[in-house]
Amino acid sequence: MTRRRATTTRDLDWMTLSLYLALVATGLSMVYAVSFDGVSEFYDLSTRHGSQLLWTGISIIIGFTIIILDSKFYQTFANPIYLFIILCLIYVLVFGRIVAGSKSWVDFGFFRFQPSEFAKFATCLALASYLSGYKYTLQNIRAQLTALGIILLPMVLILLQGDAGSALVFTSLLIVLYREGMPLPIYILGGTVVGLSITALMFDDALPILLGLSLLASSIIVFSFKNIQNRIGFALAVVGIVLVFNYSETLRYVALGASGLIFLILFFIKMATKNRQLAIVLGIGLVLSSAYVFSVNYAFYKVLKPHQQDRVLVWLRPDKASVAASYNVTWSKRAIGSGGLTGKGFLQGNITKLDYVPAQETDFIFCTIGEEQGFVGSFSVIALYLLLLLRIVFIAERQRSKFTRIYGYGVASVLFFHFLINIGMTMGLMPVIGIPLPYLSYGGSSLLAFTILLAILLKMDSNRLLEFR
Amino acid sequence: MQDQFQGRRFIIQIIFVFAAIFLIGKAAQLQLFDSSYQKAASSYVVQELNIYPSRGLIFDRDSNLLVNNEAMYDLMVTYNQVSPDMDTAKFCDLLGISKQAFLKNLNKDFRSNKYSPFKPFVFLSKISSETYAKFQESLYEFPGFYAELRNVRGYEYNSGAHVLGYTGEVSPLKLEQDKYYRRGDYIGISGLELAYEKELRGRRGVQYLLRNNLGRVVGPYENGRRDTAAVSGYDLYSTLDIELQRYGEKLLQNKRGAIIAIEPATGEILAMVSAPSYNPNLLRIGRERGEAFAKLSQDEAKPLFNRALSAQYPPGSIFKPVVALIAMQEEVSSPFRTIGCRGGYYYKSLHVGCHGHPTATSVSMAIQHSCNAYFCQVFRDIVDKNGFSRANIGLDTFNSHLYSFGLGRRLESDIPNQLPGNVPTSEYYTKLYKGNSWASPYIISLGIGQGELLMTPLQMANMTATIANRGFYYPPHLAKFFKHNNEIMPIPENLRTKNSTKINREYFSYVVDGMEDVVKAGTARIAQIPDVSVCGKTGTAENPHGEDHSVFVAFAPKENPKIAIAVFVENASWGGTYAAPIASLMIEQYLKGEVSDSRKYLEKRMFDAVILP
Repeated sequence: MTRRRATTTRDLDWMTLSLYLALVATGLSMVYAVSFDGVSEFYDLSTRHGSQLLWTGISIIIGFTIIILDSKFYQTFANPIYLFIILCLIYVLVFGRIVAGSKSWVDFGFFRFQPSEFAKFATCLALASYLSGYKYTLQNIRAQLTALGIILLPMVLILLQGDAGSALVFTSLLIVLYREGMPLPIYILGGTVVGLSITALMFDDALPILLGLSLLASSIIVFSFKNIQNRIGFALAVVGIVLVFNYSETLRYVALGASGLIFLILFFIKMATKNRQLAIVLGIGLVLSSAYVFSVNYAFYKVLKPHQQDRVLVWLRPDKASVAASYNVTWSKRAIGSGGLTGKGFLQGNITKLDYVPAQETDFIFCTIGEEQGFVGSFSVIALYLLLLLRIVFIAERQRSKFTRIYGYGVASVLFFHFLINIGMTMGLMPVIGIPLPYLSYGGSSLLAFTILLAILLKMDSNRLLEFR
Repeated sequence: MQDQFQGRRFIIQIIFVFAAIFLIGKAAQLQLFDSSYQKAASSYVVQELNIYPSRGLIFDRDSNLLVNNEAMYDLMVTYNQVSPDMDTAKFCDLLGISKQAFLKNLNKDFRSNKYSPFKPFVFLSKISSETYAKFQESLYEFPGFYAELRNVRGYEYNSGAHVLGYTGEVSPLKLEQDKYYRRGDYIGISGLELAYEKELRGRRGVQYLLRNNLGRVVGPYENGRRDTAAVSGYDLYSTLDIELQRYGEKLLQNKRGAIIAIEPATGEILAMVSAPSYNPNLLRIGRERGEAFAKLSQDEAKPLFNRALSAQYPPGSIFKPVVALIAMQEEVSSPFRTIGCRGGYYYKSLHVGCHGHPTATSVSMAIQHSCNAYFCQVFRDIVDKNGFSRANIGLDTFNSHLYSFGLGRRLESDIPNQLPGNVPTSEYYTKLYKGNSWASPYIISLGIGQGELLMTPLQMANMTATIANRGFYYPPHLAKFFKHNNEIMPIPENLRTKNSTKINREYFSYVVDGMEDVVKAGTARIAQIPDVSVCGKTGTAENPHGEDHSVFVAFAPKENPKIAIAVFVENASWGGTYAAPIASLMIEQYLKGEVSDSRKYLEKRMFDAVILP
């Protein structure tokens, strides 16, 4: 049996490539819309859009080069690449240039770039290389810790550069670990912590949260009894307690005490049964989360820098944030909102044109889409992204090679994180952490890095049929 | 190779899909359902600049400019665009305001819905063009501020204040009634400015401008597609003869009273003087106006009060020609009826005094000598026409004639703030005498223009014009026509409508002859003008508070009258002393353009006379 000859052109995933090109073209025209001054030529390299055009060319050439290179290269050199990038990150920490508050640029005089952008695909490669090893399974703690370490190393280095946004991107790789079998309880625990933090920060007052937590814990025990009368009785008690809680300032503590007492009673009843494990988990959980809720606000003001606090406040407590801090998001929302259904038309976005939104062509490029192309434009871009993400998952899943699959999920995770956070932050749904929208935002390093990220996947995917030859 | 976690791919796909739905949902909210973002954006990005039209100019009947426009500026500010590090000291210095005033004008109560930190409001109004010229050079240093050009009125003559009226900021009440106006607009408040506000004001234009993030204007919004141009108002050509007006004001200086001169053939008011008056330039819009206004309104002589329209007096003897006309028309008296005068009119215990004069053998003679007995008798004959006990019918008939002379009601006119005068009705007397029957002797004094009868000087002049026209009048008015870019617009139809009395034309000749004799050989010989036949009638309005008021009405020339005039001088006693000379000087000035040398002494006497209570 002879296997058919693989040809890159035929086996290349044209759909992904089309989605990529559509996004890049959109980005180029949007950057043009922002920087267009009515005078300069589209090709003028001294303008932002000219520079973006140049980088688009470079990215496509490099992407093309990647596609004609041997796919074995990446698997073989995954670890050296990772190592090289880590060294670059350390180099930047020592000798880097400070741009916009972060020490993250390597300057070669004629050319400067941000290693943190390239750390993303390097980490994906390293993670894929490690997890695809024959003997590793994420069921054992050592593998779990090693995998987390691979992610944490660049993350910490980037954090040290002062670029918290880019560092946070690496948390998206937890999606890859999830797919590869990282135990579910870790995610539940993580989700709970994040959820509790957000809730605690959204309210000044910890009491309602404590009440909610204790009632939740109690209700889980009650529902484990499978007795309808118990449930009805408990439901009535909950209604009573909530009413008392809302009645007056002093009665709040009475209500809270009552709900604590109910939990204690239920706890001991449950301890007397066979299934005491649930009671123990809930008991510890309740104590820890209560303590956590109390400490979140304290930690928030002690640990985060003032500008980071501002960003969180703008996100969760817009009423509390200063006008200056919420300026970006306010104008970003206005720009998007003013687009209406069909937008103001290409080059017609006056909020865009008149510099109301800072970082308009980089992190806030989505504003221009919203303003000039309206809901139709925002919907289309979000839909394009979703299609791309789902296609990458599809590609990852069709691989025989575990390495490619893991790498594919890495690509999807990183893109997903940028997509959700960036578009979310322009509309006030997510904190402003200053990460670009891949393929659309202005910026050479970013465009090139994301192109390489995707091109490697496409290359390996085009060779999927050659595996095990 | 077995992959036990393959199921997890679906969870990941679901997360991706949900995240996308989450984002699309928010985009839909911002872009489709919640318009507040759009509104906030456009209120900031798009600046609405009012372009105030230039208000129509006012000219006199000979196209002399009376009221012009002068530039003044309102400094506007948008609070949240003001730079915290602007040079406040320089700013205050340029505008001549204090630091306290600066803070007070800037820090409005933004919680009230009157002001918004995003929307421009007036920081300082009424800045003179000289101050603004200096300030303008540095305007760019103060982001958030811009100026709007306002036109304010300037007056070429220090005359005609009551006729022209004045303008001022629109009142909150008017703002609610008329949606055209916006806070801070200037509007006519009195006189012609009020009467022809709509014609004079023009139409405000709006310019939409784009502002960048620093609040600086960078160009037109949508290439000016939504802009509207300001349309200037109509120029108003008034009926006033400014020379005559000034002359009248000079004649009434140091006196209290009113002069109204009307062109009988058209109803055009040639002069309308109310003394004391004020310099219209005192009430021009500006920062000194408040003080000037307070001073004028507190003045005991009431210079803001327009006596020509709003003072009501019993007319006295000038009413007698009308009584004569009605008597002849009602056929209760013939033109050549003789009524003896025994020093007055006697009826039972009633006595109305008269002065010594030859027996009146005709209506003309009765008018010439102003015989009280004659007019008491004919008035009673009118009232008693249907029988002594049916005086109400007689009085109603009498009154219906008076109404046709424009008495007892506000005249249809373009003059605001007239008072109606008073023509007492039969219902009034029935009420007054509490249902008991009343009869002609009770109301006898009406026949000689006394009693409850009240007329404004305007009504006196109009009555005289009606006699001059031998039976009709056009509503007295102040506007001749309007003009806008060579396009002429006539005055409203109602001002060009003839009002006729029901009195036969022939009866007027007897009355006019009598009035001619008043000047030729009667009580007003002082009013004679060389080569002009003046017809007039003196009167004395009884004043319970002091010296009687002096009244004189006249028209000239006798045939084809060009001017009808009423002169009222308060506390000047008998009509012949001051009112008649003043009227004749006005007539002469109007008809001949100057006063003859032989009468210069009279002119000087009138100029110099001081008659104050």
